Formats: sequence, C-alpha cells, structure tokens
Amino acid sequence: MTGITRRTLVQSIGAAASLGPFAVGGAAAQAHKGDVIIGASQPITGIFSFAGVAMNHAFNDFVTWKNAAGGVAGRKLRYVSEDSGFKLDQGVAIFKKIMAAEKPSFFFGDSTPWSKAVAQDARASGHVITSSPSLAGALADPAGMPHHFVPGSTYGQLQEILMEYIARSARGAAAKPSIAYVYSDGEFGRDGIPAGKARAQKLGLNIVGEIITRQAGVDVPPEVAKLRRMRPDIVIFQGYLVAPIPEFVRQLREAGLNPQIMATAWALDRGTYEAVGALGTRLTGVSTYRYPHETADSPMMAIIRDQLAKSRPDFKHVSPYYICAWLCGMVYAEIAERCLKANKPLNLANMKAAMESMTAFDTGGLAGLLADLSGHQIASGRIYAYDPDKKTMEPASGWIKA
Amino acid sequence: MSEWSILAETVLLGALSGGVMALIALSFVLVYKGTGAVNFAVGEVMMLGAYLYYAGVVSFDLPPWLAFVGSLVVIMAVSALVERLVLRPLAGQSVVAMLMATIGLASIIHGGVEAVAGGDTYSPPGLLPRTPMTIGDILIPGAVLGNFAIAALLILGFLAFFRWSRAGVALRATASDPVTAATLGIHIHRAQQLTWALSGLVGTVAGVLIASSVGLSPLLAGTALAVLAAIVLGGLDSVAGAIVASLIVGIVEALAAGYLGGKTREVVPYIVVLVVLVVRPYGIFGTRAIERL
Amino acid sequence: MRTAVFHQSFRDDERLLDSRTQRAWMAAFLAALFTMPFWGSDYLLAMACIVGIHLVATLGLNVTTGSAGLISLAHAAFMGVGCYTVAWLARHGWPFWLTLPTAGALAALLGVVVGLPSLRVKGLYLAIATLAGHFVLSFVFREWDSVTGGVPGTTIPRASLFGFELRGDRRNFFLIFGCVVLLALAARNLARTHHGRAFVAVRDRDFSAEILGVNLLRTKLAAFAVGAFYAGVAGGLLGYFYGSITPEYFALTLAVFYLAAIIVGGLGSVLGSVLGAVFMTFVPEALRLLAHAGSQWLPGLAGLLLPMGQVVFGLLIIGFLIFEPHGLAAVWARVRRTFHLWPFKT
Repeated sequence: MTGITRRTLVQSIGAAASLGPFAVGGAAAQAHKGDVIIGASQPITGIFSFAGVAMNHAFNDFVTWKNAAGGVAGRKLRYVSEDSGFKLDQGVAIFKKIMAAEKPSFFFGDSTPWSKAVAQDARASGHVITSSPSLAGALADPAGMPHHFVPGSTYGQLQEILMEYIARSARGAAAKPSIAYVYSDGEFGRDGIPAGKARAQKLGLNIVGEIITRQAGVDVPPEVAKLRRMRPDIVIFQGYLVAPIPEFVRQLREAGLNPQIMATAWALDRGTYEAVGALGTRLTGVSTYRYPHETADSPMMAIIRDQLAKSRPDFKHVSPYYICAWLCGMVYAEIAERCLKANKPLNLANMKAAMESMTAFDTGGLAGLLADLSGHQIASGRIYAYDPDKKTMEPASGWIKA
Repeated sequence: MSEWSILAETVLLGALSGGVMALIALSFVLVYKGTGAVNFAVGEVMMLGAYLYYAGVVSFDLPPWLAFVGSLVVIMAVSALVERLVLRPLAGQSVVAMLMATIGLASIIHGGVEAVAGGDTYSPPGLLPRTPMTIGDILIPGAVLGNFAIAALLILGFLAFFRWSRAGVALRATASDPVTAATLGIHIHRAQQLTWALSGLVGTVAGVLIASSVGLSPLLAGTALAVLAAIVLGGLDSVAGAIVASLIVGIVEALAAGYLGGKTREVVPYIVVLVVLVVRPYGIFGTRAIERL
Repeated sequence: MRTAVFHQSFRDDERLLDSRTQRAWMAAFLAALFTMPFWGSDYLLAMACIVGIHLVATLGLNVTTGSAGLISLAHAAFMGVGCYTVAWLARHGWPFWLTLPTAGALAALLGVVVGLPSLRVKGLYLAIATLAGHFVLSFVFREWDSVTGGVPGTTIPRASLFGFELRGDRRNFFLIFGCVVLLALAARNLARTHHGRAFVAVRDRDFSAEILGVNLLRTKLAAFAVGAFYAGVAGGLLGYFYGSITPEYFALTLAVFYLAAIIVGGLGSVLGSVLGAVFMTFVPEALRLLAHAGSQWLPGLAGLLLPMGQVVFGLLIIGFLIFEPHGLAAVWARVRRTFHLWPFKT
C-alpha cells in the first residue's frame, strides 16, 4: 500500500472508531419510579454461553410473567443484564456499572470467582442480594456472605445426598457397593468431594479410588485403565458437563465393566443423559430441580412451559440453568414482596431477614419440597434415573433434605 | 494385575496417544521447517477441521468419510489462503511478530467457531469401528488403536512423500534454502502455500480423530498446548524429532497420570522440556541455529 | 508549529519532557487523572482501576519483550505470584507499602529462574521455556493449598494507610495510579540509562552486544527480573482491588492479552504500553457500546457483534502487525509530527 492510501485508511478508521462510543445516545430505558430492579452479569457469549443465554431468557420470561400477574406488591419488576463473556474483569465491571446506574436490589452473576470478587462491594452497598449458578459450599454462608444465596444444594450436599441414596439402596444387600470418584481439577469438580467422602465413611461405604483429571480435553484411556483395576460398582462423576462422561462410559463398556454411572446437578442435562443412554447405560444422579416434563407435579413448570410456548416457540429444551434462573427470580420476588408488604425499605438487613424467614417457601414444584432459605441455600434434592423407554430422567427417590 | 503389566499398559497407552499427538506436532513442524513461521494456531485449525467434519455429517447429511474428505479440502484451502493473506505480508519480521500473528489468527478462528457453534459439546461419529484389543492382561480401547493406526499411516505417507515425490523434494528444497530453490526454478510461493495446506490437512486429521473420542467443543484447541512440549523436545525443525518426541511425551504424560495423578498431566511434559533444554537446547534432533553477525 | 526548542547541554537533551508545552500538557493530564475519583462515575473509576493494573503489567512486559526482545509467556503467572504473595503477607498484617515491593521482589526472583533458559536458547525455544514456567507456577497455585488456598482461591484484606482503610474504587484508584506513575517513570528512566540501552542492544544483535562489553547473562536475567517485578506489583494491586482471587484468573489467555497489548501499543516504549493497555482493555467495552448503539437501528446487531469479541481481538493484532507494526505509539508520533510541522506537511 502506498503511504498516502494507508494514511487515509488509518485516519478514517481512527475517526470512525473514536466516534463510535459517542454514538450511544439515548438508549436509556424509561426508569419507572419504584420498580424493583434485578441486575445481571450473564455469560451470554464465551464458553458458558449455552447456560448464559438460557439464564438470560429465564429472567426475561420470569419478569414478563410476574409483571403480567401483578408484579411484586403492586410494583413492577425490571431486569437489566449485560454480557460478561464469562470473564471476571468484565463481570465485575458490569456489576459496578449496573450498581451505579440502576441501583438494583438483586443481582445475578455468572460464577464462583465473580461471587467472591463482588462480595465486599455488594455487602458495602447495603442494598443488594446476589446469587449465581455456582453451587460452591463457600458461598452458602449466612455469616460471611450475608448478601448471597445459593439457588440449590451445594456441591458437597449433593454428594452427601448421593451417598445417602447409595446406602439406602444397598440396605440388605450382601456387600456394600464400591464407589469410584472421577472429578475434574477445578472448583466445580473438587468442591463437593470432601463432604461426599466424609458421608461415605460415616455410612460405611467403600471408596475404592479417586481419579482427578484436567477440566477439559481429558485423555480417557489411562483413566479407564485405572478404573478397570479398581473394578467399582458405582462411578460418580463430578465437575463435568457432558464430555468426557460418554467417552468414559463407552470405554468402560469396552473393557467389560458396567458400573452404575452417577452425576450431579449440571451434568444431568439432556446432552449427558442422552449420550450416555445411547450407549445403553442408565445415568443416575441427584438434582435440586425437577425436569421440564414433570408438569403434573409442578404447577410452576407448567407455567414455564406455557410462557416459553408463547414467547419463544423455537426454544424447545428447558435446561437446568433456565430453571435455576427462574427459581432465583422467584426468590428475589418473594424477598421483595415480604419486605414491601411489611413496609420495610429494600436494604440488606431487611432483605436478609426476609430471606431467612422463608423457611417454607413454595417453589411451585421446581425444587420439590418446600424450600428453606434460612441457610442461604435450597438444601434438598432428588435422585433421578434415566428411563430408556421414555428417554427422559424419571424420579428414583423422594425428595431428600441435605 | 501385576505391576509389570500395569506399567506396560500405561506405557503402551501413552505411546498410542502420542501417535496422534505426533500428527499435531507434524503440523507445526511442517510449517516451521517449510516457511520459518511459528504456527500457534495449530490447535485452532485442528478444531476448525473437526467442526467442519461435524457440520458435514450433521447439516449436510454426508456419510462420515465424505464429510471427512470435504473438511480436509476446505481446511487445505483455508490454510493456503492464510499463508497468502497473513504470513506473506509479514515475511521477514521478528519472531514476536510472527508469533503474535498466529496467536491473532488463533483468536479469530476460536472466536468465529464459538460465535457460530456455541460452547456446547457435540459427539461426532467415529471413522473406524471400535474393537478393543487384549494382550494378556492389557486392554487397549478400540478408539485408541484405530486413531494410532490412521496417524501412523499418515505419518508414513508423509515421510514417503518427502523422500520420494517431486513435490516433496521441492518442499524440502524450499525449506532448506529458498533462494537457491528459486534459482533452480522451484516456485517458492506455491511451495510455501502447499506446506501450509499440508499442515492444515494433518491438523484436521488429528482434530477429527481426537474429537471422535473426546467430544467436539471449542476446548479441543487447548489439547495442542501439550504438543508444544513435544516440539521443543524434538527440535522445532525436525520431522523425525517431532514424531519421536511426541511418543516420548505421550509415554511421560501417561506415566505421570498413572502414578502421580491426572492433575500432574499438564505440568510434567514441560518439566521434562526444561530439563532437556539444559542438556540439549535445540531439542534432540533440532539443528543448532547458526547466527551470523 | 514547534519552535525555539534548542538543547544546550546533554542534560537538556536527555530530558523526558523537553518543551514547556509538553510539561504543561503533562501537568494537566496528571491533574485530571488524580482528580478523577471526584468527577468520574463509579463505572469509569472501576474501568480506570482495571486499566491501571493492566498498565503496570504491560509496562513490565514491554521491558522484557519489547525492549530486550525476550518473549515471555509467563507474565500471567508472575502476576499470580505477586497476588498470592500480597494475599499471604496482608493476612499476616503487613502494610501495603511493604507487601507490594516484596511481591514484586519475589516475582522478580522467579522471573530470574524462569529466564535462565535464555542463556542457552533464543526466540521460540525461549518462549516455550517460559510457557513451561507458566504451567509449573499454575500448578503450584492450584496445589499449594496452605498458602494460595488452592483451587477455591483466597481473599486479600483491603490495604490500609495508617488505619485509613482503602475500601472502594475511589481509594484504590490512588493506590493503583500512584504505583502506575512511579513505575512508568521508572521504566522511562530505565530506557535512558545504560541498562536500558543494553536491553535494546541485546534485542537487536546479542553477539555484537557481547563484543561491545554487555554482559549477556546479567542483562537478560535483569530484563526478566524487571518485567516480573512489574507483573508482581500488578498482581498485588489486582488483589487489593478485587479482594478475592482464584487461580483461574492467571491463565495463558492473560499472558496473550499482554503480548497483544504491547504489539498494538508499540514495542519498547512507555507510551506504547499506555496506549496498548488502554486500547486492549477498552476494545470489549467499545464493542459492547457499539452493539447497544447499533441495535437501535439494526435489532440483530447485538447478537451478531457480541460473540465476535475474540475475532475482533485477533483481527486487531493481525491488522496492526501488517499495517502498523510499530503500533499505536508510531501513529501517535505521526500525529504529533503533523502538529509540530503544521502548516507544512514534511
């Protein structure tokens, strides 16, 4: 390129780029006085986008539905969200931005690091309750993190429920089943394992081995070789979403083993159970939430399906992330309603008290039993098992409190 | 199972997975040897090839083999295009510049794939039947054996190509001395484009093989990082070194995963690299760079 | 047009700001910068703090890779070292004016260790050796539970100055930008000394430098040490800013981000580091703003633009390498020259 054309090109690009941010203009939404505002830093793009998009939709749909049903003590809900790309820098910046601009009463983040990073600021602001799809045990801490709640059981509690179920199913059998843990080397994988191991020891269950793998790009054959030597009756996976569970199952079957495959929470989504089911193995696991086909037992699930059919007809599958976000919306709305009905302002102390007073909160069947949020979590879950005829996950136990 | 058979199984599994890694290493070394460019986008090209294969099977309903060939052709074309558009304007610039250009390329491909296909994991169909093989106490999963077989065939094919075919010899000539090659009538630009295209081909094969067993997601690109250790071990510009070193690194990784736990898997090859660099700085088979003032 | 700037001594020639206009502009800039906590919005301050932290790290990398030509992929790991050091020391009650230098010193020490292969290898081999350093340090962050808190990460108590707790962005701003100004000045001065010139000599032709009397071993290790020191301090500031950190933050993508920042900004100059860090931090923001603004006219634009963040990142790097290899600093120099020469063109 000759000097002149290159210069003009760079100049024009520079001019356009410098004008860009100033072209924002009047995108300010009409702020209705008295709206109850829910802010969110959603991972709409990035590696967690499948969850972020679902959670974003869920909040939007919940707010639409709730406002149509009368809002919260007469006030409307408003949802403001931005894309965090699942990056901590962006997520925290969005938190500060929305907190400054909108002064929300509730905030939904995207991960454990985010929840920990904004904790001090959220607490200091004195007017926001946060939550995120992270089920890490450290976040369900009424004393240390009074502004935060976990919209489900923590990873540790899920493992404990799993152990309880295994012990109950094995009651009366000749020998206790041997269990092998396969988990990933990250918080998602590791967080719940100590609790699971402690409960197994208390129940006299034998853990024959632990395999720790990378978080992604797992090389399966050496680990399967190790499992072959352990010969477990049950293999519990933790810390993976889909991969590498199907590959593990495939190679275990090739090696002549057919252990029961168990997982928790986010790993029990359609991608996993269908892939494992296609290999002829039944996936079993513990989940805090119901599945979308259980509309008979859950009026709220039916409402969700209706809402989706109306507003997003091509959004076929309701993932656990969607349910998690909707449930968070319900909790937020309930907290706000309790405060407003008692004529108390929406500050941290009142909202925390309201949350802790929700000891028998009806989740409309989304999370089974009446939820008890006094511990800043919903500590219950149910075992589901894959039914190869119906091709869905069916309940295999009652609801168990952790 | 006796200790010896456990050891043998671990080593064998490691060597077999090292064979597939050798493909990725070959992809890298081809480009470095042929054009002097450092290609940090090897993992992303691999991933793109695997996604194209999956798209071929799912969106266009092609039989797996046809989709595979189709993805190979597309990636070869893309690689040649990249050479023309990105690498040639940067010829002669510093190592940092080349490195960053390929990192930028990797970002583009990664971002593009994520934007179009999202972060979900898919299960592409395998190319070969999966029958496990048992040697005494040792069990080799079918996927591992099949992948290694394809990888070995491809590598042998390449070695033969470089040794005996006209085009291969032309590529080797361009690699060792572009100026002399040009005076002898070899079209060096075309040779360099062909080098990139072949590198893309090899990377795609590796990508499809790995994706069939591990699953297809944007994280596939990260598996190429371990290969960097193998490349340095073998010498950046040595094809034989890349292959031997990949096998060694595969075995070392498997031993680490087997005896030290799966989380040390990532670190151990790099520790080996650091140790080797002290003794043989340019790798086992690499040529020592001679600098003139 | 610039006139009447004549240097009459070596000292004048070496000055950083050599004309009155320059000094005036710099004073105005510093004044605006340090009063930002009073006139800036919360969001702007948060972004400024993040830019400041990235700037310190970029300054360091520009010394190691920009001035001395030693490609370092371990920069993110050095930041992690600094962050965890500060976390541990602050938990034991050390004040910030002790923890930050100590964090920098510890990171510098590790920088020397990671840089040792530079004695035997160059170029890409060195880059991969530093990559090995990155992986080893990442492993330590995840496994050394007692000090780093392992995978769940650790918390960092807020910095405090004589009992006055630096909580909140407005107070952290001063801490961060105090460090930024000091360290930027240090980097600029380093370039003026014979050490800085030795770095450049090593980058351009290290054999010739050795013949001229530059001690290669010490120079290369010093380059790594200085770069790592800056990264360590940046990591410490990061800790004070976020209050809690997990090892996932210090991933390889962060090291690549800093490399991109120095390429885009301009290798080897402080101005390059500043422009590069600011530019790279604001690109995702600008993209988001553009998407929001554009979606008023084209509704689907946001959905199309937002996931393209990484693509834009890659395009920027390649674009700058092909069209503007000396980075934004060169563009800035051209703009300045136009102003100096106006109304003439050359």
